[in-house]
Amino acid sequence: MSTSWQDRVGHAGSAPLRWLAGWWRILFFGSSLLVLAATPSSYTRETRAALVHHLYVDTAPILWWFTALAALLTLVITRIVVVTALSYGLSRYALEMVIRVLVLELIPLTAALFVALRCTIPNGAALAAMRRSGEFDALARAGRDPVVTQALPRALAGIYATLTLAALSCVVALVLAYFAVYGVTPAGLPAYTRVFGHIFNPAVSLIFVLKTLLFSLAVAIIPMASGLYDVEGDGSRESAALQGLVRMFAVLLVLEAVSLAGNYY
Amino acid sequence: MTDPVSPLTNSEPAPARPVRHLELKAALLLAFTALLIAGSVLYLLYARGVFEAKQQLVLVTDDAEGVAVGMDMTFSGFPIGRVRKVELAETGNVKVIIDVPTKDAHWLRTSSVFTLVRGLVGGTTIKAFTGVPTDPPLADGAERPVLRGDATSELPQVLSAAKELLNNMATITAADGELRATLVNLRELSDRLKTRDADRVAAAVDRANSLLARLDAMTAKADTQVFGPDGVMKETRATVVQLNQLLADTRASLAKVDALLVEAQGIGANVRGATNDLPRLRADVEANLHKIEGMIDQLNRKWPFAHDTEVKVP
Repeated sequence: MSTSWQDRVGHAGSAPLRWLAGWWRILFFGSSLLVLAATPSSYTRETRAALVHHLYVDTAPILWWFTALAALLTLVITRIVVVTALSYGLSRYALEMVIRVLVLELIPLTAALFVALRCTIPNGAALAAMRRSGEFDALARAGRDPVVTQALPRALAGIYATLTLAALSCVVALVLAYFAVYGVTPAGLPAYTRVFGHIFNPAVSLIFVLKTLLFSLAVAIIPMASGLYDVEGDGSRESAALQGLVRMFAVLLVLEAVSLAGNYY
Repeated sequence: MTDPVSPLTNSEPAPARPVRHLELKAALLLAFTALLIAGSVLYLLYARGVFEAKQQLVLVTDDAEGVAVGMDMTFSGFPIGRVRKVELAETGNVKVIIDVPTKDAHWLRTSSVFTLVRGLVGGTTIKAFTGVPTDPPLADGAERPVLRGDATSELPQVLSAAKELLNNMATITAADGELRATLVNLRELSDRLKTRDADRVAAAVDRANSLLARLDAMTAKADTQVFGPDGVMKETRATVVQLNQLLADTRASLAKVDALLVEAQGIGANVRGATNDLPRLRADVEANLHKIEGMIDQLNRKWPFAHDTEVKVP
């Protein structure tokens, strides 16, 4: 993973060049990580063990908390939208608005941010600490690529956590929105299914899936890249974490803007 | 080197102690996620109507403005179909291709009518109406014309009328307009009234006041003449008393006439009794006449010189 010209540009160039070099490094790291993830030989016994560990440890403890949070958010927003729509005589648009606002826009973004704050940013910081303490060099000397054994499981776990959180919260939000609008009765199911099918046309579904996937990639890869390489700054552990956060937020914002443009233009 | 017990180290999610049954738990979690996503995808496909049999209906219109893919077609307010495609036909018309689930297709008959209505507020709606539910059902892929109604198409007309009206209003109320001139005239008139004719009005009011005073005096005099001690009213009362006496006399005379009439009635009755004896009297007279006739006949026979044998009855 030697990128000497990037180091040279990064340290010698002006600020915009350093900034561009940082993005390039993240992009390069992300694609190489994806290639590694798609390569069966990456999954050695050690990587598999680390992957299983991170899959469980990064997802399970936050899953229920986040689901409860999403349920509360759903209840509050559904209530506000339904009551407001009723007072304007637009109640038939209320359900569509709730599903669009919550499931399509808010919950995937919130899930990505939650995973980033609880898992991937601390994981990136841990990688930075290991690198600085010389653990990576020791691993490399022992013939094991630290990216494969340390970074890959963490990144995959981050992707998985984002997808699981988003999926579960969306399902919970859909169920709660149904109960909030129709009450505890199965009578509204055909109408609800129809509205759901009406909203999730092929284009919107594709954008939703792509957006969630890209969110998960962004929150999983950018903090790792910031931890593995000194993308910019003075090389301290905290600054790496902070830079990862800033770049990740920027990517999430761009992705959200693009998805909004795709959905509504 | 960094401090090994910094806040970031503590915040790392990896716990120090190993998790028991880690692989099983991780597998369960993976299965849960897979189930969740697979279930969501299946529900989405079901909601999109992938699993139900459908038939196609083609509506032909000359303007498909407001028709969007995914729009519902309703029957009695219930969605029974969904627009799948909107395309231009070779004739320049628009073909709206609608998927109707087979379970709802029996509502559509060969005589069904389809409308495409565009309201002022809200979106365009496609509606189906079936008048005769016993007609043969609509075939798959049937092509039907659609009746179009557009509330916004009359808007330009309304707007032009409104504009004309506003122009008229502007002309009337303009600085050199008629309304303004009329108002100015009215103001001049009121000003003139206020200044020049005010004295004349006051004089007229004074004269009216004096006239009223004289009228008052005249009324007082009339009162004295009519209701005073020697007024017309007293004489009238005396006349009425005399009239009463006259009426009493008349009543007494009438009573006398009544008695007279009773007597006349008695006389009449007597006359009727006398009349009853007349036939008997007449019979007696007739018998006597017969006897006289007989006697004259005998006398004539005994008196032969007489030429005239007839006897004259008085």
